[in-house]
Amino acid sequence: MSVVIETHSLTKVYEAAFRGQDVHALEDLNLEIHSGEIFGYLGPNGSGKTTTIKLLLGLIFPTSGSMEILGNKDIGSPAIRKKIGYLPEGAYYPDFLRGEEVLRFYGQLYGLGGAELRKRVAEALETVGMTRARMRLVRGYSKGMRQRIGLAQALLNDPQILILDEPTTGLDPIARKEIRDILANLRDEGKTLLISSHELLEVELISDRVGILSEGVLQMSGKLDDLLTNREVIISVLNAPPQALEKLAAAGIQAEDRVEDRVALRIPDTVSVYQALEMCRAENLALQSIAPRRETLEELFVRVIKDAQPRVPIGAAEKKGS
Amino acid sequence: MLMDHIRGPWTIAVYTWREGMRKKTLIGFLILSILVILGSSFMTAFMTQTTVGEAQTDIEAKLIKDICVAAISIFGVLITIFISASVVPTEVENKVVYTVLSKPVRRFEYLLGKFIGVQLIVIINLVLMGGLFFIALYLKQRILPTLLLWSIFLTYFEFLIVSAFTFAVSCASSSAVLPTIAGLFIYITGNMTEYLKDVYVRAGQTGLWIDELTGKLAYGLYQVLPNLQNFSLRNQVLYLQPNDPPRDVMIPNLIVYGLVYAVAGYLIAYWVFRRKEL
Repeated sequence: MSVVIETHSLTKVYEAAFRGQDVHALEDLNLEIHSGEIFGYLGPNGSGKTTTIKLLLGLIFPTSGSMEILGNKDIGSPAIRKKIGYLPEGAYYPDFLRGEEVLRFYGQLYGLGGAELRKRVAEALETVGMTRARMRLVRGYSKGMRQRIGLAQALLNDPQILILDEPTTGLDPIARKEIRDILANLRDEGKTLLISSHELLEVELISDRVGILSEGVLQMSGKLDDLLTNREVIISVLNAPPQALEKLAAAGIQAEDRVEDRVALRIPDTVSVYQALEMCRAENLALQSIAPRRETLEELFVRVIKDAQPRVPIGAAEKKGS
Repeated sequence: MLMDHIRGPWTIAVYTWREGMRKKTLIGFLILSILVILGSSFMTAFMTQTTVGEAQTDIEAKLIKDICVAAISIFGVLITIFISASVVPTEVENKVVYTVLSKPVRRFEYLLGKFIGVQLIVIINLVLMGGLFFIALYLKQRILPTLLLWSIFLTYFEFLIVSAFTFAVSCASSSAVLPTIAGLFIYITGNMTEYLKDVYVRAGQTGLWIDELTGKLAYGLYQVLPNLQNFSLRNQVLYLQPNDPPRDVMIPNLIVYGLVYAVAGYLIAYWVFRRKEL
């Protein structure tokens, strides 16, 4: 797959006024996003996600390093912007306008007019499921509807690349699912999506690759299947007495998720499943199930952020390896 | 190709105008000004009649003119400064600027659209206020007050200069407070440039270095700041016949003068905004 977004040692430092301390928002970022993938861009608050997006859109300017979008280094050129759709986090849409009018405004900024504009607006409304609410004033929209209109304005130009900043934040579970489905459909249509989010479950469900950012440094990047390698086995047993669990804990087998009389035992890498089963039998524990368990993105995220070495960029190494 | 460069700014201008005309502060100023203008006509009904016939009508007309000219100047400039100071910082604050500038719109075009939108608002407010004044004066004197039309026309160019510089400061600011203060400063000093000339002429007589420095500073400001008094036909509106032509003013020169300062203000705004971190 071809690379559509690429950054080379991208660094952004916000210089402090007077005698304050400079803020290193982004350090030596080397990122590659491939055509037709959903890239989940993760990180805690203030980790540099929005800074990266703003740099890619030319809203702020890099301290050093460079960026390429679709092979073009002139990030701010109208030719590039025609191929990008952007949904900012918590954007405001003029509430005195109707949903359709908002889209007509943004469509005109893309240089669309007449029948073509009407067609694109109708298509975008259809895609985000807002056709029926198109003539309602934005002030009467729910948060989910505003987010859909925001997504629709990003889709008006049928962009090759979609950059979405927190697209599901603050939405109810149904609205999240609907937005997630829309994004997955867009990926299936061949569009490239860069999604910055705190919603790790959402990202895990739809992303092909993720990047984890902490304190402006890309800590980890790659395919989800390659990153979520920590696989464990969970053995469920019934009626386990505390003394038996203490003995198992001494061997490194931790009990977790006690539900009524059932206990889930997490088997670490250092203990084989056969050894664990032998120990359970020795303690007369009633075996209920044995199941493999893959580490979740949330667990990976927490682990990476905890282990993060501030100001030690690994982007270049990841780039070579990927 | 040219249409592509015009369409974006014009779309933004119309949007700015539609949004601006809904701002409560602006509506408040406009309603107040209209009340004052309409009120001036009612006030004449309660005046004690000291003379008769035409002389009495002239006194009443002068009262209307006095109040209306002041109302248009005060509320007009407040509306101009308020809207010029707020359009860009508000859009940065509510992130509309992100969605607009991520489209194929250059910053130059964005600012041009915002600036034209501001001018549409200023012009429409001026036409509303001036129109009411025109009607009030016509009803009182039964003579078409063409001089008033010239006065309102030139007042727009005065507001254009104030607007351009307020707009320039707003592009460097994150809130509307500083540009509002700057706009008031430009309006006040722009109406007092003759005093700066006086300071320059009188300075240097004591031989003290501070005196000379003050004189040079005043001269510098006199040269740079626009002389907004040039645009004022206030005394002519008050004391000449309503249908007299304007006297002692070169209207084409004043238009060019106003446009030069407006373009300078816009270019400063662009220079500030072109590398602004949003």
